[in-house]
This record gives sequence, structure tokens and C-alpha cells, in this order.
Amino acid sequence: MANLNIRSKQERTYQAIVIGSGISGAWAAKEFCDLGVKTLMLERGRNVEHIKDYPTTNMLPYEFPHRNQIPQEIQEANPVISRCYAFREDAMHFFVKDTDHPYVQEKPFDWIRGYQVGGKSLLWARQVQRWSDFDFDGPARDGFAVDWPIRYKDIEKWYSHVEKFAGVSGFKDGIAQLPDGEFLPGYELNVLEKYFAEQLKKHYGNDRHMISARCAHIHGNAEYFAQQGRAMCQNRNLCQRGCPFGGYFSSNASTIPWALKTGNLTLRPDAVVHSIIYDDEKGKATGVRIIDRLTKETEEFYSDVIFVNAAALNTNAILLNSTSNRFPNGLGNDNGLLGKFVAFHNYRARVSGQYEGHAEFTTSGGRPTSGYFPRFRNVYKQETDFLRGYAAGFSASRGSGPDTSGIGMDLKNSLLNPDKYGPWRVGSHMMGETIPKETNFVALDPNQKDEWGMPQLRISVDYDDNDEKMVKDYIEQMTEMFTKAGFTNIQSSDSKQAPGLDIHEMGGVRMGKDPKTSLLNANHQLHAVPNVYVTDGASMTSTSTQNPSLTYMAFAARAAHHAVAESKK
Amino acid sequence: MNRRHALRHIALISGGLALIPSCDFSKDDILAAYQNLKVTTSQKVLLAAISDTIIPAGEIKGALDLEVPDFILVMVNDCFTKENQEKFTAGLTAFPAYAEKTAGKKFDALSTKEKEELILNGTKLEGDDTPEGKERGNIAYFLNSTKRFTIQGYMASEYIQTEIIPYSLIPGEYNGAVLISDLQKPRING
Repeated sequence: MANLNIRSKQERTYQAIVIGSGISGAWAAKEFCDLGVKTLMLERGRNVEHIKDYPTTNMLPYEFPHRNQIPQEIQEANPVISRCYAFREDAMHFFVKDTDHPYVQEKPFDWIRGYQVGGKSLLWARQVQRWSDFDFDGPARDGFAVDWPIRYKDIEKWYSHVEKFAGVSGFKDGIAQLPDGEFLPGYELNVLEKYFAEQLKKHYGNDRHMISARCAHIHGNAEYFAQQGRAMCQNRNLCQRGCPFGGYFSSNASTIPWALKTGNLTLRPDAVVHSIIYDDEKGKATGVRIIDRLTKETEEFYSDVIFVNAAALNTNAILLNSTSNRFPNGLGNDNGLLGKFVAFHNYRARVSGQYEGHAEFTTSGGRPTSGYFPRFRNVYKQETDFLRGYAAGFSASRGSGPDTSGIGMDLKNSLLNPDKYGPWRVGSHMMGETIPKETNFVALDPNQKDEWGMPQLRISVDYDDNDEKMVKDYIEQMTEMFTKAGFTNIQSSDSKQAPGLDIHEMGGVRMGKDPKTSLLNANHQLHAVPNVYVTDGASMTSTSTQNPSLTYMAFAARAAHHAVAESKK
Repeated sequence: MNRRHALRHIALISGGLALIPSCDFSKDDILAAYQNLKVTTSQKVLLAAISDTIIPAGEIKGALDLEVPDFILVMVNDCFTKENQEKFTAGLTAFPAYAEKTAGKKFDALSTKEKEELILNGTKLEGDDTPEGKERGNIAYFLNSTKRFTIQGYMASEYIQTEIIPYSLIPGEYNGAVLISDLQKPRING
């Protein structure tokens, strides 16, 4: 393809280039801009400006022609994205449709993507739990993957750094495996959730906890967040539409406008990254080659510092496609491990039930979070027939549903006066750690290309025996805890959903101490190309159980500061 | 969006027909607005009468006042699988004869109470593999879908959500322990 761009090389040279504007990329860009670094942020999708580009944000339920249901024709054409819980009429414009960006599933894998400025940060579940050394120690203690080259002490201050700016609400629970952070006032559990937490104390001592999940919502310190143009969370629970208050953290509401305000950020949407340019003579990466999404023209941008934050699997794809004489198998891929040891979170099982007690209570208003079980299995030592463990979500709710069995005036009266309260409903879902394996990998398809001539990604990721045992254990343990708490009508289910639907895919460009067995060093630099950094999900050596975005944000901020320090040497 | 607007106009017009008893139905056109269904003008009138029985008008408007029949057909047309669309329209087609056979009169000629009874019993019909059983199954499927969408289209309508039970985009701070006895219960007279 001819390079039709005639702008001078100097005009297309920046002090740093960040590939991707999602939760981690925008954090890197924000840190660079705050440090005075002229930064180019590339995004493959369209621009989405805060508020202006949230078309459904203030729509009322009756304004959706199908009351938020996705029409059958769209579902049939896009089976993968249609399985995502948030792919509804109100937010479907922020999700990638199967038909627009095909990929190859060697094994079933539901790849959920958001191609726009802000990426999936518009759509995430906003749960932000810190890792602890029980997580970073995992691979070394239990003998899988490779040892993480960092520990909690390396990342602790960066967790604080990003929490303060993003706005994280929670309580200081003092739980060793879920370190406390810089919290705004937390959201109280409801009366039944508190009851359950007390029951756990009674039956399991201090071993099992159920707490209010820490979430990236502004619940205090309004003046500080006003500097970002953000306001308090209004408990709308319509986050996936984009929040006009900036009540939850997203790149669009927070880091991107902040970085733009410094005057140091150039945002380039519609830039599908083809590859990172490696200069054999200079022995380093010198820039990024893109294809314009709309014109299909090729353009090059140059920098001495390149951050790859394209979202876990696309970061793998870009590096695999960045070939040169020095790196014929992908950038930094001397050991052949690029794309391998991909892992995810096991979200297959749920347990539900009901409780007849506390019948005099219900709840009112809204809240953006719910209950959370930190991992309690195999924390201090190996104690089950499977490795690692699971966290779990938990919530209790009580509604006044109308009796819809009748017809005519009876039915109408019942619908308009819904005063019959059923029992409290309780529900939980698992979030299991999976073990990264060489056999779980992504690769570029040798034949099939996408609309931009880029090779399609082949994904070959599956569950293993450890995951099956963990599903069984979660169901057994949660059923036992529900039973001890006096819950009844306890039901469990295993959705057998394909990997990917958890939207926590990780790895392929893992960190490690040894260049022979890992791609990135302790500072997120490619061992073989130190001016290229990866700080998104691709860098994960293991997965732990916590929702990973907070850790990516902390990684990105830490690595950006490292890159700036290096450039000053 | 333009297509949908156009469809709404057509639907409004055909819905309006139901209110003009002298209208000539001898030319029973298939309604183009619901391109996946082969629903005729008179079938839409029947559907309107059924939804009006499920949620009738009173001091507070009923399903028919809120264009619920159009909503039902939009949902069946856009959100049902082909197989379920066929079951729905087969049930709709079989319903007039079922009404006559069961109640001894045309649906139109029944009293409100008779209509209610016919529909409620119809939702409980059980199908099997015989041709008659299939028809019973289709009628039950049609009536249950119609009832479900009537409730949804009625409750999630602009009228109900603005004038009767106002919907709030901002529900207020969470209270996790509200005494039910403290809640005010404004009786809404249906």
C-alpha cells in the first residue's frame, strides 16, 4: 500500500505513542501528559466524546422501540456479542458486532470488544479490588506459569495513585487478601446482606468475608472531582450508556479530557494499528504504522516510546503482526511464547436462593455496587484438590411484584398497585482464577484477513480439569453457606459459557524475570525491545480472581513514569 | 429510525380503524408494517380487542388507548424467532373459530366477563402432537405472548411512566433497610 501521507516526518513524531484509548491506554496517556510529554494516542474506533456522544444516556424506558431488547435479526447475525449481558438496545452502539470484525474460534471463545475512544471503559462493571501478595505469589508458590517479577510493594503506591484520581468507593475492611485502598465513603450493604455477612462470621469465624464491593464511583469529595468535570454518582445504574455526570470512571469522562486539557495530547481516532516499526540498525522500535479506518490509507507515526494498550488479545495481535528481520515471529518474540499462556476468569456458576426472614424490610433508591466475597480457598496454603480459588459476587434484593395471574380490571389494579412483597432473593456468581497454559493461545490466521487487510486472530482457549473442580467446589461451598444462613429454595447452575464472556481475557505477553520464559520485564518493557511497553491485560502472568482493570490502570501509570525516568537518563 | 417512524404512522392509521365500526373490512389487507408477519387489518382489530380485554380502559387509560396492539406486533415482528412468529400468527388465525366453538358466539359478541374467561382459559390450554393439539398449543402461545406484551407495552408506556407511576432516571440514595410499614402506598385506582 502506498503511503500517501505527505506530512513531514517531524510533524508525525511524538515523545510517546500510546496504542489504545481504553482504561489502561488512557491512563498511560494521562500520566505522560501530566509529565509534559507530547503524546499521540491512537484508537482504532470512532471518537466518543464525553456526554456529547452518549445518545441514549437520558432516554426513558418507553423511548426504546423494543424496551431494550435486541431484535432477533441482530441476535441471529451476531451470536457472540448477543450473549453479553450488557449488549442491549441502550448500549449496542458501543459494542463490536460479530459481523463487523470476524475472528477464528479454534475453540468456542466469546470475544467481547468495544472499538471506540474509551474502549470498554464505557462498558465495564466498575469493580475495583486490589491484588495482594497472595495473588502475586501464586505462580511461584503453586508451580504454574512463571514467577511474577513484581510484588504488592511495587504496585501499592500506584494503586493509591489511580484510586484517588478515578474515585473508588469502599470500606476499609482489613482483609489480608484484599488490601484496603484510598476510598471514598462506601456503599452500605442492605439489611439482608449484612445478615449474611454476620452469619458467615458466626459459622466460619474470620475465614470468610462478604463485604461491599469497592467500585469506581464518586461517592464523596465532590469538589476534587469537579476539577475533572465529574460529579457524584446518581445511582442511575445506566452506566453502560455513558454517564452524563461522569459518576463512574471511564477514559471518556476522566483521563482523556484531563490529558487533552494539558495541551500535550493528540488523539487520533480511526487509526487501525498495522504494526510497530522496528529499525534493525538502531536496534529499537521507531514508530507505529496505521491504516485509516475510513480511507484505508497507510500512515506512520514516530516515537522513541511506544505503549501497547490495545486490549489484551489485540495487543497480542499487533505484536504478532509486527515482524522484521530481527523479529520474524513478532516483536520481542525471541522465545516463541508471544500469544501463549492466555487465561481468563471462570464465571460459569451461580447459586441463588431466598430468605423468609427480615420480611418487614425492603430497600429503596439505587446503588452502583453489591456484595463481594474475597477468595477464601487456598489462601494461606493448598487445601483443596484444585489450584487457587474464586471470588464471588453476592447480592440480596426484594421487590414488590404485581400478581399477573388475572385479567381485566383485576389485572390492571394489581399492576398499578404492586404491593405484594415476595421473599428476599439472594444470588451469587463465581469469579474463578484460571491457570495460564501454553495450550491456551492466540495466533494470526495465515489466510483470513479483515476489512483492513489485517490477519484475523485465531483463538484457542479452553477450560481444564482445574476449572471443572473449581465450579463444583464453588457450588458446594456457596450452597453450604446459603444453607447455614437459613436460605431456602437454593438453586445452582453451571452455564458452561465459553471463555471470553467473562470479558477478563489476559496474558500472551506475560511479565517475568527471565527473557527465555517471558516477554516483559518488571517494568512492562519488552525484554528484547525496551522502548516498547505493554501494560494492559496482555501483560498478566496470572489472573487472580479480582476484576483486573484497576491493576491495569496502576500498571499503566507506573510504567509511564518509568518510561519518562528512562528518557531523562 | 425513519423506517420505524413510517411504520408507526401506518400502525396508527390501522389502529384507528378499530374505532370506526362502519369501516369496510371486506378488503382484508395484509399489514406491510410488520413485514415478517402476515397479519391482516381485521386480525389487528381482533388483537386490539383482546389487549383491550386484558387491560381495559377506565378512569385510567387502557391498553388500546396506548397503542399496545402496535407494540405487540412490533415485538413479535422484530424480536421473535421465525418459528415463534409462526406459532403466534397460527394462534391468532385460529382464535376466532376457537372463540365461536368455545363460547358459542363471535368474540365481538361476547360480554366482558365472557371475553375474560375465554382468554384466561385459552392461556391455560395444553398442546400435543395431534393437529388439534398443535392448534391448542398455538392458541395458548398466542394468548400468553399477547398478555405478556400487553402488560409490558402498557406499563412501559409514556403515559404510565409519566402520568401514573412516574419513572425517575435518578432513583435517589440507596436505603438498604426500609420498613415496609413506613412506605406510603398511594392507591392508584385502575
